[in-house]
Amino acid sequence: MEQDRAELMAELGRVARVLDGREVWFDWEGFFWDAADWNEPAAVLLARESGLEELGDAHWKVLRFFRDYYAYHGRAPLNRHLREGTGLSLGELEGLFPGGIRLGARRLAGLPNPKSCF
Amino acid sequence: MGDRLIYLDNAATTFPKPPGTLEAALRAYRESGVSPGRGSYDLAVQAGDLVDQVRRKLARLFGAPDPDRVVFAGNATDALNLALHGLLRPGDHVVATELEHNSVLRPLHHLREQGRIRFDLVPFDGQGRVDPEAVARALCPDTRAVVLTHASNVLGTVQPVREIGALCAGRGVLLILDTAQSAGIVPVDLAGWNVSALAFTGHKALFGPSGVGGLVLAPGLEVQPSRYGGTGVDSRSPVQTPSYPHRLEAGTVNLLGILGLGAGVDFILGQGLEAIHRREMALLARLREGLAGVPGVTLYGGAGQGPQVPVLTLNVEGVHPEDAGAILDADFHIAVRAGLHCAPKVHERLGTLGRGAVRFSPGLFNTGEDMDAAAQAVRSMARRN
Repeated sequence: MEQDRAELMAELGRVARVLDGREVWFDWEGFFWDAADWNEPAAVLLARESGLEELGDAHWKVLRFFRDYYAYHGRAPLNRHLREGTGLSLGELEGLFPGGIRLGARRLAGLPNPKSCF
Repeated sequence: MGDRLIYLDNAATTFPKPPGTLEAALRAYRESGVSPGRGSYDLAVQAGDLVDQVRRKLARLFGAPDPDRVVFAGNATDALNLALHGLLRPGDHVVATELEHNSVLRPLHHLREQGRIRFDLVPFDGQGRVDPEAVARALCPDTRAVVLTHASNVLGTVQPVREIGALCAGRGVLLILDTAQSAGIVPVDLAGWNVSALAFTGHKALFGPSGVGGLVLAPGLEVQPSRYGGTGVDSRSPVQTPSYPHRLEAGTVNLLGILGLGAGVDFILGQGLEAIHRREMALLARLREGLAGVPGVTLYGGAGQGPQVPVLTLNVEGVHPEDAGAILDADFHIAVRAGLHCAPKVHERLGTLGRGAVRFSPGLFNTGEDMDAAAQAVRSMARRN
């Protein structure tokens, strides 16, 4: 049964990892499959993997804004809301995370992979 | 950064529409918005006349001899599906190109998966153009059709349709032309170029609203309907009527959309295609000039040689294209399109399939200052990295 589930998830492009002692599913680009699986230790681990040894105040401000916005609105912030809410230009925000905005900040914040033309 | 949005996504849809066109369409719809051609009362006849007037304008714009063979559909994708499903027969071979949009690639893939057709894709050269000789070499004895985009939605390059049409005519092969990116910007000549079926969309450079497009057919071409229903004519017949345009127009047409499209075509005919193209290409040249030689900025396609529509696609080293689009939007108030542009084969060849690229597509209502601001924004992104 467990084997069947693993095969099904692999077929769907999902990858399981153990993070902080829990099994967590990610999509093919490393986004959390379920935003509810996110927690702060997971973000720290993923940040290290991306080359960010330590998450500073500015990083946490961005990640918490993403989390709060998503929890309240059920979707990711618009570009201008991200700028207003973090007090950073998106150019600055892009430079803050090694993967940039989409593959860096948004992914570390545990938001779903955006449905764009890819 | 000014407050005004600099809209550079006109290849996706033109925005804004020319002054007065939407108002004219709404006025006509308020006065005559009944079921066109479905009834003997005067207003229904008048509404039918309004639709036929737009067919005539489109036939004139596309060099099509018979306005009754201008068939309305939802958009270019819808029209291409009508053409491909209605023209291809089991066992046919099709030639298309790597420049095609998914509006062509996906129907072809599905038809192949169903075991109905085979198809081959002809590559494009370093300038973003398809060589007619390469198309000729791809033809097989059982090739039924060549499907070709007139202008690439990623590179902006205009394809040699006249030459490809001549070789198709000489080999008895149909030519299906996708004018989604070219109609309203560069001339299209269905009869002169031996085009069998031409798909267009209303909401791009034809300046209509979204939700209307169509298929224009050469005289004598028979297209099997792939959807069936009421047409307002020949109602006793249990099957779809054989006459055009009704054969391919099942159900009530999008009258408001057609009226808006008609107003857009009026605007184009009033301005003149040549003047529109000249102005848009001057904008593109200014943008290209502002980005030429900027370290860390890769421009794709040819360096503006040969016929072109106003599209420029690029990447900034070290910035994910989607992030570049977000930065341009939030920090510079510039709207562009990042991603694969529904043209995966183009990006595969450019080496950008994994991340995509950023497309700038100026339109008639942009200014030279808009181009300078866009170039400056890209340069500042490139400088940071």
